[in-house]
Amino acid sequence: VHSNVSQGCQGGCATCSDYNGCLSCKPRLFFVLERIGMKQIGVCLSSCPSGYYGTRYPDINKCAKCKADCDTCFTRNFCTKCKSGFYLYSGKCLEKCPDGLEANNHTMECTSIVH
Amino acid sequence: RLDANLISVVPEKSFEGLLSLRHLWLDDNALTEIPVQALNHLPALQAMTLALNQIWHIPDYAFQNLSSLVVLHLHNNRIQSLGSNGFDGLHNLETLDLNYNELLEFPGAIRTLGRLQELGFHNNNIKAIPENAFVGNPLLQTIHFYDNPIQFVGQSAFQYLPKLHTLSLNGATDIRELPDLKGTTSLEVLTLTRAGIHLLPRGMCQQLPRLRILELSHNQIEELPSFHRCQRLEELGLQHNKIHEIRADTFGELMALRSIDLSWNYIQFIHPEAFVTLRSLTKLDLTDNQLVTLPLNGLGGLTHLKLQGNPSLSEPFPKESFPKMRVLEVPYAYQCCAYGSCSNFFKVSNQWEAEDMSPEMEDPHKQTMELFPGHTDNHYDLDADDLQLDLEESKLHPTIQCTPSPGPFKPCDHLFE
Repeated sequence: VHSNVSQGCQGGCATCSDYNGCLSCKPRLFFVLERIGMKQIGVCLSSCPSGYYGTRYPDINKCAKCKADCDTCFTRNFCTKCKSGFYLYSGKCLEKCPDGLEANNHTMECTSIVH
Repeated sequence: RLDANLISVVPEKSFEGLLSLRHLWLDDNALTEIPVQALNHLPALQAMTLALNQIWHIPDYAFQNLSSLVVLHLHNNRIQSLGSNGFDGLHNLETLDLNYNELLEFPGAIRTLGRLQELGFHNNNIKAIPENAFVGNPLLQTIHFYDNPIQFVGQSAFQYLPKLHTLSLNGATDIRELPDLKGTTSLEVLTLTRAGIHLLPRGMCQQLPRLRILELSHNQIEELPSFHRCQRLEELGLQHNKIHEIRADTFGELMALRSIDLSWNYIQFIHPEAFVTLRSLTKLDLTDNQLVTLPLNGLGGLTHLKLQGNPSLSEPFPKESFPKMRVLEVPYAYQCCAYGSCSNFFKVSNQWEAEDMSPEMEDPHKQTMELFPGHTDNHYDLDADDLQLDLEESKLHPTIQCTPSPGPFKPCDHLFE
């Protein structure tokens, strides 16, 4: 293990360094790079921050960004809550609902037209 | 969210009554089977992950009531087998992730997924992609299947996929011919390397009007068709084949073609008109062929030219032929001398060895600054006049990295002339 990587780390880190924060996380936690001014430091979270989605892999759990028009998502291509001004339909953020559906301005979703 | 627990069983009634549940996380648990019964009561479910479990088989009708499901992640399990009706009922599925499993055969059950757009089954043990493999998936945009021991690919496997933009296959040694890509008209990147292809169909470009990158290295190709109709072609990789000639029409009117790699072939003859229409060509690699002469017509825009390994190519190349040249590799040192006096002119140092110079490096003033990074405290104590002189000089003769560079034992004169 590299000389300035210490084991006695804060929070959910498994390994960390003074300068870079967390280098790896304890099991089940998500690794995120947080920007502080010019620096980026690693942090370990139990779930990904807003605007990010988590993917678990055998060796690491990672957070990645949702698309620009999406606030929260399941994967990059499947949104669960759109940014304001967009309507959610089947995981996509649309400025206008498709034909046959109506825009619900309360839930900001496209829903079937109720006759 | 139920992810990252130790769940090994999901009782049948676990989700009963959750008629509005849309997103379910069951990844990173200890499931060995798909909880089929429990999943029967989720009509509104749109996205589910069962990744990172120990699931080894997908039975028929495993997801039959999940008609709203759009995303299904099953990566990092131990799935070896899949019922032929395993995905029946998933009428709205768009994304299916089967990566990092142990599938031995192509997942034929996908044929019922008519709205599938994204499919991944890379890192499995699949050896063949059958005929009409994706006949039921006309909306497919991406298919990731690298890191499978694929040997055979059916000729019709990739037909009629009008939205597919990338197809890459490496190491499928049983493939003798290019798959028929009829109806797969949006393909932009086709990579088919280390197979056994010995013939390219004449009409291949008619099927691929949007092709930008064609990478066919490490095959057995002897003769090239005309790529004339591949009008958007930008990069062409044909290295390590058995090509022996380039005809006048081989690269006819490919206005967007920037890079051709023909290294490690048997090329003896290139038609004088072969490069005439290639106005965007900047990189040409003809290393290790059997050239005696190189037609210079149309090569005026080259910045990178590689000719080493052509022992019979002994003609000198006049400097005027390559006004934009930056990296030149030639068979003999004396061929470098045409680019200025041999001894003090060539600066071969680290920052010039980078082959791919980014556009902003073209500005001599910027380049000069790069030469002395952080020049104020740099040990190159050039005073302003010298710097100005050097700047003027570099505008006239931008340094060309030419190898092999001449030296005491590699004189400028051709000894046998």
